Amino acid sequence: MPATDNKMIRVKHISKRFKKTLAVNDVTLAVEKGVIFGLLGPNAAGKTTLIRILCGIIKADQGEVLINGLSSQKAKPVFGYVAQYFGQYEGLTVWENLEFYARMYGVTDKKRLDYLLQRYDLTQFKDLLAGTLSGGYKRRLALACALAHDPLVLFLDEPTAGIDPLTRKRLWDDFYQLSAEGKTLFVSTHYMEEAQRCHQLAFMSAGTLVAKGSPTDMKHTLGDKRVYTSILPYQPEVQTALQKMAGLILVNQFGNELRIVAQNNVKKEQLEETIATIIQQIIELDETEPNLEDAFIVLTQNQTSPATNRR
Amino acid sequence: MIKAIIKKELIQLRRDPRLVALIIIMPLILLTLFAVALKLEPQNVRMAYVDQDRSFFSHMIKTGLWSDAYFDLYAVKNKAQIIEEIRAGHAKAGLYINSNFSYLLTENKQPHIQFFVDGTMPSLTTTMKYHSNSATSDDISSDMYFSDADADNVVIAQKPFIMDTRILFNPEEKETWFFLPGVIGVLIMQIALILTGITVVREREKRTLEQLLVTPMSRTSFIIGKLLPYVIIALLDFYFILLAGWLFFDLPQPSSHGLLFLLALVYVAVMIALGLLISLISSTQQQAMFIAIFIIVPSILLSGFIFPLEAIPDSIRPVSYAIPFTYFVDIIRGLLIKHTHFIDLANAYLALTGFALLFVGMSIIKFRKTL
Ligand SMILES: Nc1ncnc2c1ncn2[C@@H]1O[C@H](COP(=O)(O)OP(=O)(O)O)[C@@H](O)[C@H]1O
Ligand SMILES: [Mg+2]
Repeated sequence: MPATDNKMIRVKHISKRFKKTLAVNDVTLAVEKGVIFGLLGPNAAGKTTLIRILCGIIKADQGEVLINGLSSQKAKPVFGYVAQYFGQYEGLTVWENLEFYARMYGVTDKKRLDYLLQRYDLTQFKDLLAGTLSGGYKRRLALACALAHDPLVLFLDEPTAGIDPLTRKRLWDDFYQLSAEGKTLFVSTHYMEEAQRCHQLAFMSAGTLVAKGSPTDMKHTLGDKRVYTSILPYQPEVQTALQKMAGLILVNQFGNELRIVAQNNVKKEQLEETIATIIQQIIELDETEPNLEDAFIVLTQNQTSPATNRR
Repeated sequence: MIKAIIKKELIQLRRDPRLVALIIIMPLILLTLFAVALKLEPQNVRMAYVDQDRSFFSHMIKTGLWSDAYFDLYAVKNKAQIIEEIRAGHAKAGLYINSNFSYLLTENKQPHIQFFVDGTMPSLTTTMKYHSNSATSDDISSDMYFSDADADNVVIAQKPFIMDTRILFNPEEKETWFFLPGVIGVLIMQIALILTGITVVREREKRTLEQLLVTPMSRTSFIIGKLLPYVIIALLDFYFILLAGWLFFDLPQPSSHGLLFLLALVYVAVMIALGLLISLISSTQQQAMFIAIFIIVPSILLSGFIFPLEAIPDSIRPVSYAIPFTYFVDIIRGLLIKHTHFIDLANAYLALTGFALLFVGMSIIKFRKTL
């Protein structure tokens, strides 16, 4: 039975507890056909657990999953999954791995496999043991294996974690290509810049989805809060002083950049003055657009006190 | 540096409570089991007898054999049947007393009685020979001297009668015939359990199971796909070992090659399926290895391979019958040495088949399509 609407993935009130940890807490979401859906969250947010539940390899304590209108178990022929950790056979060659996964889905079309090898630059490594591939090529092999049966939906758990920027860009170009071919991609990540690339996003924190929408929507979840930035080397005293101010939501340091998110009743001059008194130097803050990270941190932080972040 | 490594190893060990349980509790269980089970003295060894004399004296011999509960006597029709009873495994020993026994005895003509021993079980064969002496012990034979009241007290012979012992099936008492048939089973058990014992755990540890579980395979195809190749490998290995036995170690030829193949097939299936089951219930390769070893050791000691089943107390006997290897030992001795008829081995074949089905079934049930 195909989906009656254009929702490829439907998740209703999924929860999963591991002893003391509530890894997934009442998650509800829907993903349209052909969309790249990003699940953004820090480590231990519950991303892997949620994806495993969607793929039917972990049983949720409660809730319902429909993929293309079918339960995860029944939908297995129409989706592919690339696990967070390399899960292909290191003792088999690239070709043997690909052939194995294809056959598990009843695919015997050698041309398709050759095409996949080519698509992921693996042709030259065809006869190499998978265990000897570098991280980037392992990831490509995993992708090729997951695509062997030409699935409608692809679940990718942190597909670019630990991958060099060039390969990461290539992979993302490919994700767009897959999406253009009509496939639905469900991608988890903890990179902001990667989340930015998704059509739809959900922020996950401590098992809960704290916000859903397009990247633009997400930035606007900050509402009428203001974001200020300035070039200023890290000084702990500045952070401490700013955090004491009423109406301050977030102080975030990126190398030499200081980012401040504050309620709209906090005056820019007030902030500049506070900083100036500490650093004994005039400083000018620029108001700027909120970015995803601002939004994410504000949404996930403990509401009572502003978070301090430094990178 | 050494200290750091030692500490790390100990911490890792402590974090695997199942392993700790395996290395502490399992030896305790086995120690208790063996302490109770391993006796050198067999009890109630079944003995088929034919007493054609039916005299007071022949009865004394039977009682002598019976008295210390070593032999458990039952009557059969004729001499040939004694051998057939032993061949079928119903009896381990036999006794034949000729119809002229008491006549010859009273005539001081030193009659012979025949004692038969199953020659396939090393320790049983020797202890049976030893115990049969109770039939000729002085208590019994002292009443069997006959002489004319008025004649001189002449001792005609050292003993009033003579017992001839016949070691059946293995008259030369060759050690290789005693042990090699069972050794084949032990080797196959080790190979099979270790071979399949790690196949699923390894996929779990290497995280390949996760990628495998998302494919639309059925539980049955997973189990069968995991079993079949190893069944074939172990089967080839079985014949490889047999061949070496035949070529270099004087291993006898079977009564039927067809039945031997059937045994190889069923036994290998049992062991491979058991290995798979171990793999499914273990969470690490180390645990799987331990469980395999804890199956192999009691199998060797409690199966009748080294110590006769007759020496294992009744309370532990069910354990022996719950060991697949017990039936293997029975069948392979029957096929290679005793040339037992299929009908008398059928139950053992059925038991092995039952184990194979049980272990495959349990594996299918135990295998979850979730992590
Ligand atoms: N098999 C498991 N047993 C116990 N706890 C688990 C298990 N898998 C995940 N968790 C816990 O659930 C939480 C979410 O983990 P995970 O889904 O892996 O997060 P993420 O993928 O976002 O990093 C973590 O606190 C983790 O420790
Ligand atoms: Mg994860």
